[in-house]
Order: sequence, then structure tokens, then C-alpha cells
Amino acid sequence: MSEERQGRGRGGKKDDKAKGGDRPRGGGFFRRRRVCKFCADKIDYINYKDVRLLTPFIPERGKIQPRRISGTCAKHQRALQTAISRARQLALIPYVTE
Amino acid sequence: MSQNRQYELVYIVSPDASEQTIAELHTQVEQIVQRFHGTLDKTENWGRRKLAYEIGKAREGTYVVETITGSGELMKEIDRRLRVTDTIIRHLSVRIDEAIRVADRLRDQRKATQARRRVARGLPPEPSPSERRGDRDTDDVDDMGLEGTEVQR
Repeated sequence: MSEERQGRGRGGKKDDKAKGGDRPRGGGFFRRRRVCKFCADKIDYINYKDVRLLTPFIPERGKIQPRRISGTCAKHQRALQTAISRARQLALIPYVTE
Repeated sequence: MSQNRQYELVYIVSPDASEQTIAELHTQVEQIVQRFHGTLDKTENWGRRKLAYEIGKAREGTYVVETITGSGELMKEIDRRLRVTDTIIRHLSVRIDEAIRVADRLRDQRKATQARRRVARGLPPEPSPSERRGDRDTDDVDDMGLEGTEVQR
């Protein structure tokens, strides 16, 4: 019984978060619901050697895409940061691109 | 305790180096590991890869990944040796045992939660392959750059 309630409580929390992402933006259009890619795909360890995993978070210029745009959750953004800096050090990803 | 840390070592060998030099470097690393009573768990050679930026004058390099279990002193020695080796243009060692432990715990937790919820709904704890939701990560990646212009249904 108590276990079941716990499970539901968690689900409710997630829904709240989703609503936050749907807030209307300037110009009257709605933003697509942003989901953290790593949460959705259940990636526990962001591997710095996996370039294919990291490239979606690196726009043209070579900078790290901010959380407000990519929708990554805080926890995963932090892990992503370290993964990207490691990959940069190994020349898998550029520091800057002109 | 501190003897059993797991590390991942990646080094980039200069493009001028021959196959033989790469093999030699590998045995060198292996020897250091043995001297410090560690174990070399895995070696992966990625082969030649284009570098994202120039390092010195090199535009490409051979990547070698080694998984090592051992002490911090061992890694310190390897780091020192690789630093003085001219044929190695870049190297990075990362401690991975803790990250792996965290990842394992998260996965186990998620599995347990899923099983509990499924049992609460009167389903068997493990989902059958047919119940799985389709691949949604692939189209997520494609949409990445267009997010701003998309309108919510």
C-alpha cells in the first residue's frame, strides 16, 4: 500500500515539471515540451568517448548548448559539461570552430 | 582499498609513429602496471582518427584506450612517463570505478521502481519485448536544431 503511494507521488512530480516546459512564450507560441535526453533515454553515464552522444549538445560555434535550450536537466548538464571538456582535451570535439 | 581503483587511460600517438612504436608504447604501459601490481583489464585501439583541432603539427592521431585497475601512484607514474614520451601527443586518465558504481546503482534503482510499479498494476515485473515503446531518441536528435521554430500542437 505504502509502496504504491510512493510510486504515484513520483509520477506526479514529473508531470509538474512537464507543465513548466509548456509555458507560453513571447509571440504567443508554445514551446515544445523539453525533455532531458539523458533522462528519456536512461543514460546513466555520459561517456566522454562517445562523440555521437555529445555532438547534439554542441552547436556550430563549438560551445556547450545551454540548458534552457537543450532542456537537459541540471544533473545531466553537469555530467555533460565534464564529458565535453574531456572530449575536447582528447581532440574528439573542437574547443572553437570558426 | 586504494589499490583497487579503476582508471581509464586514453592516449593519442603521433601520426608519424609506426605500428611497432604503438605496440612498444603499449608494452611500456603494461610493464609499469605490472611493476605497481595493478592489472590491465582492457585495451582498445581506435586506430587513426582525425583530430578536432591541431595538436602541435599533427592533424590526426592513433587513439588507444586502456582500462587499468591499480593505485593512484601507478597512474601518477604512467602520467609522468607519457608526458615525457615525444610520440604521445596527448593523454588523459580518468577514474571510472565511482562513475560506474553510480551508474549501476541508478540502473538498479530504476529497474526496482519499474518492477514495483508494474506489480502494483498487476503486471509481471519485467516488461515483455512487445510492450516496449518505439525508438524515440532518434527523431529527438533530428529535431534538436529546430526546436525554437516548432509550434506546440
